[in-house]
Amino acid sequence: MSGALKSLSDALAGAVESLGPGVLRVEARRRLPASGVVWPGDGLVVTADHAVEFDEEISLGLPDGRSVGATLVGRDPTTDLALLKAEAKLSAPAWKGTQDLRVGHLVLALGRPGRTVQATLGIVSALGEAWHSPGGGQVDRFLQTDVTMAPGFSGGALVSAEGEILGLNTSGLLRGLSMALPTPTIERVVAGLTAHGRIRRGYLGIGAQSVHLPEALAARLGQPLGQLLLSVEPGGPADKAGLLLGDVIVAFDGAPVQRMDDLVALLTSERVGQPARIRLIRAGAEEERTIIVGERPRAEARP
Amino acid sequence: MNTLVEQINEDLSAIVARAQAGLVQIRNGHLGAGAGAVWHPDGLIVTNAHVVRLRRPAIVLADGRTIPARLLAVDTDNDLAALEVEEHGLPSVSLGASRQVRPGQWVVAIGHPWGVQGAATVGVVIGQGNDLPGVSAGRREILAVSLHLRPGHSGGVVVDESGRVVGINTMMAGPDVGLAVPVDVAKRFVKRALGSRAPTSN
Repeated sequence: MSGALKSLSDALAGAVESLGPGVLRVEARRRLPASGVVWPGDGLVVTADHAVEFDEEISLGLPDGRSVGATLVGRDPTTDLALLKAEAKLSAPAWKGTQDLRVGHLVLALGRPGRTVQATLGIVSALGEAWHSPGGGQVDRFLQTDVTMAPGFSGGALVSAEGEILGLNTSGLLRGLSMALPTPTIERVVAGLTAHGRIRRGYLGIGAQSVHLPEALAARLGQPLGQLLLSVEPGGPADKAGLLLGDVIVAFDGAPVQRMDDLVALLTSERVGQPARIRLIRAGAEEERTIIVGERPRAEARP
Repeated sequence: MNTLVEQINEDLSAIVARAQAGLVQIRNGHLGAGAGAVWHPDGLIVTNAHVVRLRRPAIVLADGRTIPARLLAVDTDNDLAALEVEEHGLPSVSLGASRQVRPGQWVVAIGHPWGVQGAATVGVVIGQGNDLPGVSAGRREILAVSLHLRPGHSGGVVVDESGRVVGINTMMAGPDVGLAVPVDVAKRFVKRALGSRAPTSN
């Protein structure tokens, strides 16, 4: 025996031991508790939004066995992140960026659905550029792993084999996949939630679907599809800008719009209240309108 | 870099070979087969209670011989059984201490999944205790491991990165969580069952 396996095993168990105290139990839903991780700040804890079913009477299980109450600061379903504030002082572990990460690196998932910290091991499966979740959430980096999400692991920490926290694990962002929210995304969402209690999303007040453009137009614009307006909310941003049923949106502030996802991705929080140019096809002719982007109402799923 | 991977591979194959030498197959005629481990060279075998369907199952030793065994004791609460064979000088497994096991620690499960003799699968310790939410069955003490146990694994061993037995393969909880009886629970069972005849822990 060379001792290499023993060293590796000790390093992994050591990482769990040193970071485990920063991983808490989150009791905010019926059935199974979930996990959360202490975030730098006065008692802040980040967890998975889908694991927070109650707005009140949330409690956190601390490593020393105590339970403390927590309040919901805010939530962002689009990135599956919820921010809690504990009624206790907590010490945050060091969060690190993912710039040194490569596909194939060993990673641990840490969770605390029960009294003790638990761990699973896997590798980084895929790394990509910034992406948008199905709900339109901006995530700074596509980070997929093959760590087993044991029951109650959502909201737990993704940890490198060197013992650094890289992000937050959730199985709720892309169904069936172990995805992680990288630290920079959490930083940005936490800032938004602390300031507004929610992440604002841009809103046009339209219902639309993809349609094929006439061939000549498609060739000239360099895109086969556009968004046909099926409904325009009276008094909404699109209505105020003079958009009509039957208009086909082909570009938003210079960026081509072919699918609904394209629009959703463009309607980021910074756009709220700002003017944007909309290029559309009406009665076969191209036109341009200026729209003041609104804020998407909480209950509304459409752009 | 390559040296490190080579060293890890060597260590893994060494602990697997060591555990395989102490592993046996337990056959219940047409009622199925499972795995067991030789705890003492003088013929003490420990396995899961659910693996032993007959009072006198047949044991296939690591050297290939098939011999009869006698059931010594059963603890259905903890899914444990002890068997005895008339043999001396059998290669045995070396026992660890499950109380020292840490989450994240490397483990290997060895058994006969789907009848494949001595097959090994690797994972890490998820946690242990009698209150793992969504995992524990009842109030029984368990060792949860992130590896896939299959029919035929039952009664086989979970060894740590030094090749010491820390658990006895038992079942799956959900698609990805394997459950084992912690070896400390099995040691207490053997001690209770055999009293003064119990072998001193090695």
